Amino acid sequence: MPTITIDGKNYQAEEQENLLSVCLTAGINLPYFCWHPAMGSVGACRQCAVIEYKNTDDKHGRLVMSCMTQVREGGIYSVDATRARQFRGGIIENLMTNHPHDCPVCEEGGECHLQDMTEMSGHTMRRFRGRKRTHRNQYLGPFINHEMNRCIACYRCTRFYRDYAGGTDLQPLARNNQVYFGRHEDGLLENGFSGNLVEVCPTGVFTDKTFSKHFVRKWDLQSAPSVCEHCAVGCNTAPGARAPGNGKDPILRRVVNLYNRDINGYFLCDRGRFGYDYVNSEKRIKNVLVACEKNIISSTAAPGERIHGEIHPEPAVKHLARHLAEVQQGRRRLIGIGSPRSSLENNFALRELVGKNNFFSGLSARDLQLLQLVDRTQRDARIHCPTTPEIESADAILILGEDIDNTAPRVALAVRQAARNRQKRQAQQLQIPLWQDASVRQLRVEASPIFFIGLEKPRLADITSATLLGTPEQTALFADSIAQLILGDDTGARKLAPDCRAQVEQVANTLRQAENPLIISGCGSRSSDIIHCAGKIAATLADTSSSPCSLYLACPEVNSLGLTQFFPAGEGDLEQLAHTLEIHSGTPCTLIVLENDLYRRADRHTVERIFNSADAVILIDTLLNNTARHADLIFPAAATAESQGTYINSQGTAQRFYAVCEGASYIQESWRWLVDAANFCKQKSPQLATIAAWRHSMDLSEALAANFHQFEVLEKIGPDENYRLNGLKIARQSHRYSGRTALGAKAQVAELPPHPDPDAPMTFSMEGIQSPAMTPLSAHIWSPGWNSNQSIIKFQQEINGHRLGVRGSVPIRRQPQPLPEWQLAASVPAKTSKTLTAVPLYRLFGSGELSVGAAAIASVTDIPFAQISREDAQRLDVTAGDIGQLQLGGESHTVEIRISDAQPPGTVGVPSGLPGLETLAALLPAPAQLERRSDREPGETP
Amino acid sequence: MPDQTLTKPLTKNICPQHKPPDIERYQDNGGYSGWRKALGMAPEDIVELVQKSGLRGRGGAGFNTGLKWSFVPRGKGSPAVKYLVCNADEMEPGTFKDRLLMEQNPHLLIEGMAIAAYAIEARTAYIFIRGEYHLAAVRLEQAINEARQAGLIGPDILNSGYSLEIYLHRSAGNYICGEETALLNALEGRRAIPRAKPPFPQVSGLWGKPTVVNNVETLCNIPHLIELGSEWYKSLGRCQDAGSKLFGVSGKVNKPGTWELPMGTPIREIIEEHAGGMRDGLKLKGFLPGGGSTDFLGPTDLDLPMDYDAIAKAGSRMGTGTIIVLDDHTCPVGLVLNLSQFFARESCGWCTPCRDGLPWVVEILTRIENGSGTPEDLDLLQEQVARMGPGNTFCALAPGAAEPLQSALRLFEEDFIDHIRKGRCPYR
Repeated sequence: MPTITIDGKNYQAEEQENLLSVCLTAGINLPYFCWHPAMGSVGACRQCAVIEYKNTDDKHGRLVMSCMTQVREGGIYSVDATRARQFRGGIIENLMTNHPHDCPVCEEGGECHLQDMTEMSGHTMRRFRGRKRTHRNQYLGPFINHEMNRCIACYRCTRFYRDYAGGTDLQPLARNNQVYFGRHEDGLLENGFSGNLVEVCPTGVFTDKTFSKHFVRKWDLQSAPSVCEHCAVGCNTAPGARAPGNGKDPILRRVVNLYNRDINGYFLCDRGRFGYDYVNSEKRIKNVLVACEKNIISSTAAPGERIHGEIHPEPAVKHLARHLAEVQQGRRRLIGIGSPRSSLENNFALRELVGKNNFFSGLSARDLQLLQLVDRTQRDARIHCPTTPEIESADAILILGEDIDNTAPRVALAVRQAARNRQKRQAQQLQIPLWQDASVRQLRVEASPIFFIGLEKPRLADITSATLLGTPEQTALFADSIAQLILGDDTGARKLAPDCRAQVEQVANTLRQAENPLIISGCGSRSSDIIHCAGKIAATLADTSSSPCSLYLACPEVNSLGLTQFFPAGEGDLEQLAHTLEIHSGTPCTLIVLENDLYRRADRHTVERIFNSADAVILIDTLLNNTARHADLIFPAAATAESQGTYINSQGTAQRFYAVCEGASYIQESWRWLVDAANFCKQKSPQLATIAAWRHSMDLSEALAANFHQFEVLEKIGPDENYRLNGLKIARQSHRYSGRTALGAKAQVAELPPHPDPDAPMTFSMEGIQSPAMTPLSAHIWSPGWNSNQSIIKFQQEINGHRLGVRGSVPIRRQPQPLPEWQLAASVPAKTSKTLTAVPLYRLFGSGELSVGAAAIASVTDIPFAQISREDAQRLDVTAGDIGQLQLGGESHTVEIRISDAQPPGTVGVPSGLPGLETLAALLPAPAQLERRSDREPGETP
Repeated sequence: MPDQTLTKPLTKNICPQHKPPDIERYQDNGGYSGWRKALGMAPEDIVELVQKSGLRGRGGAGFNTGLKWSFVPRGKGSPAVKYLVCNADEMEPGTFKDRLLMEQNPHLLIEGMAIAAYAIEARTAYIFIRGEYHLAAVRLEQAINEARQAGLIGPDILNSGYSLEIYLHRSAGNYICGEETALLNALEGRRAIPRAKPPFPQVSGLWGKPTVVNNVETLCNIPHLIELGSEWYKSLGRCQDAGSKLFGVSGKVNKPGTWELPMGTPIREIIEEHAGGMRDGLKLKGFLPGGGSTDFLGPTDLDLPMDYDAIAKAGSRMGTGTIIVLDDHTCPVGLVLNLSQFFARESCGWCTPCRDGLPWVVEILTRIENGSGTPEDLDLLQEQVARMGPGNTFCALAPGAAEPLQSALRLFEEDFIDHIRKGRCPYR
């Protein structure tokens, strides 16, 4: 570790580190623009200049860019030297010659790195008397605003978008001070990580358009650590909320990244960043709804559909309480259906209320089995669930049947970084430090081996060494051959076509030789064979190398793996529930559905069997959905940003999220409705009494910890509601939060006390600890002089290190179990001329149940379509763009027909979860028929 | 028989009245004998010979050519693919020497490239030529075809087992493409911005392969150097620097032009004898010794020899060796403004001092020239000059752009003050 001197003080520096990182780690305020902790140095902005001295005799020194200067043992530097300060002030002065100084109307204002750095550099007087250059802005889609006049040309946007995220449609154009960062023409930014431009851009060129619709300054937002609910990766977020005033309920206004080294680092995907707006959707359930007596009779209504009206919560809760009383008296059955998109606490509360034998997962047998297989596979001691930095450092990656670009986007971004590992290794051989980003990237080395075997050509295809496309059955076959080959057995490989065989052999050889191989798979193909194969390959590799092999298994939803923990193998699926209900059809039955749309989970027949067997259906959910149409009573559930709880991500990491704001109207956490009902019961069984006594979210977390050994860690995540720091709670609002007394003044002059938080040691006010350095519960990433999200570097142990403080993410502890015995069964797909096999396709915008409720995401979500091969298109006599009728599992849907060369013949790709086709998701893969619609009216859209 | 008395190896075939020699005439006059000789030598011996000869790069930086070649990894374990790139993007203001060579004697460049490529074991070479050099491009294409047909380049050259392809690439036009790493980016179809170093092109250059980038004139020196040896080559110079050089003069002299003269020829001799002195009634006020991006020198520096170190010692650079003369009837502010406009326009836009500093310089100089300058503007200009100092920017463009400005501010301070005081350009 080199010892260096900066302005007369000694510091220990990391070997080979650049001086800027060292200064920032040491807490020295040194301004910069083009450097980014995840993207390294390129030396473009020249803002971070310092003086380097040759030795103690050298009094003059030499101006150097700290980001481009590798620290050396005994190095002497000065940040404070007048010459360095003047130069830095001069650079800002130059940068600002074309900047419009429009801070008051700029949405970046108040969290602008350019403002901060300008202040820090001490440039205050404007001496430039010329005209400023101006640009025309572009329409970049519904997510991002573009205001190029503010640009200071740090090149971070295109470095992130192109170099880091693999985008192609944003580039630096033109030259000199006319350089323009945009697309070749107006249009939606194609890359699924475009939202990060908002945070990567040091000023207001790229801002969040969804935030613009309900904009307030950063300092006026209240925030808390949260977890993204739009996939199972579990990225950490800092959503921001603020009430519009006059007694109106708070609005969730945006989501920004919250650094977690092991999961999301500095970046979120666009579904995660812009999906939050479902909370403000028109479909949002804010009040208790009750079904009116009569069923609707209308041509558009489904059988059993009802219309609902708002009622006061009290009679509704009493109604539920009456049902609970009847259950206690044995006159009624109570069935609970949980949800993979609800917290452990909510699921647990329902399970405790209905009893574990009456608690069902809300998943089809197939989905539950897949998840249980994921869980079982991860329990094998030879399997290691990798963190994001571990994914990034893998030297060979095999992706098996999982469209991670769309099902686990942040993982795909990490895989993209892994493609550069050979390049990085060469850089090290040439003694080029890895932070020298431009130097490293210009080395032309073969990409690190990344193989993709699956259904649809991935976005990652530009970095994959080999891509084998095929049906899930073929994928499993390839994977099984690879597993055999690693063991030296080529029986399976010999049966493959010669070109496939060559590729499979290449994959097996590469994996076998890799020091740090990584297998990625998941539930996306809905094939247990693929997961078995992934486990087998990883286990085999572990056996040959005698250290665990990294295997990332992507789960479909935010708490899929958490929900799975409640069910022993073979229990808890919806088919089983339908069966059980029919057997016990004599007793009246109340069905409580927790945050779940059963029509997305199982076939229509099974769902209707369930609804028909229950005489009361109670739904607790956030958005109106198909299940809501059948509910007698609907309770409004808090969304992630409005509640506290724990999710288990695909890595098996338990993560606590905290309420950012209180839900509007009567919204509350799902479990609280159950507790309320328990409290209205006059006679309470011991179980009901326990439930009735729950007051705090942590009561449930602790009960979970006590009841499930996997969840013992839950007790340790985050302090409980009684925690105090220096006698204070943690403030959700910043110390600059404005309008506290004025906000509601029109309605009421008296300042109302802040909404109490029974769950977390946090206040919905400005009072309390506001320093993110003191506790990770503070999500208001701010430091004096550092108002932008760049200030996260102030709260890391070192640059790119862990966040300071106790971590809110802890792996759950599962009993080790070896992989189950398994053999790939020979399958011969039946092929008739008309039948195709429908297989799931995934879309970043469209496949997420909640995110499509966000207006911006809905506006770019595809129309229902079905994708077939050219071969099948000819056979079926259809052309791309035709309107077709898709018959699948007894359902018939109008779709646009698309043709893809990559679609395996004999299959039809159906977008999973896409609005309009969401009821098909649970059925895939399944036999299907597709034909052109001849009766289409002109102009009719599907 | 090699002519050891040859003094003008670069221009011996050039006669303004005639078309450039085709391959027959070129060979009749001894052409390609250097290449034939080189093919009989070991590549590393050629590198050593060139290094010993003291040939310094004629593009402006004056780095020892042989030394540059010696950085290319060779032998076992070294990359199989290497490239030679000829930098023919002659865009330095006031410079027109490479154009003469390419238009009037294209085979000399082809021969020099063949030897250089052979020496660094490259089998592919590119000429990156300035887009406006249309005639040169046509003639070079023709020369390449002739050489290929004669078996002097192409596969298995003269049964030696060595193969070389030379491709001509016409630039889309950008001064920064003259910077060797920006040139490589442009050649690869990327944005023409300089690359970070290390890695240096000799290790990881074009498409990540070891690459040598040499100036046209540098490469034209090679054939005779190989043929006649390093002692002959050294003897060509009149000073420490070896060889002959194309020197040029532009400005209000009687006979602007370019001539091949020994290294170390005194500036006075170049201007007065070869360029015919100043036009009637004009006096020399100052001059840029090596193109638009070098510091002004004054009348007292006229007796300096044109060699790299002597000019550097006087506070400027020999650069491309093409002198721009400033006379006493031409406004120095206007001249510097004109140059600054060029550099501001040609900035690649990568680093701040250049991208945003040069347009500001233009803004200030425009005001001064138009009579609305203020005394504070001179301080501002000095500050901008300091911001663009060597090491403060990513590449040498801005420091080069600052050189005529900083020296003009010193040498012609009175003129600047006069503009400001009188509120107009006193030369108009």
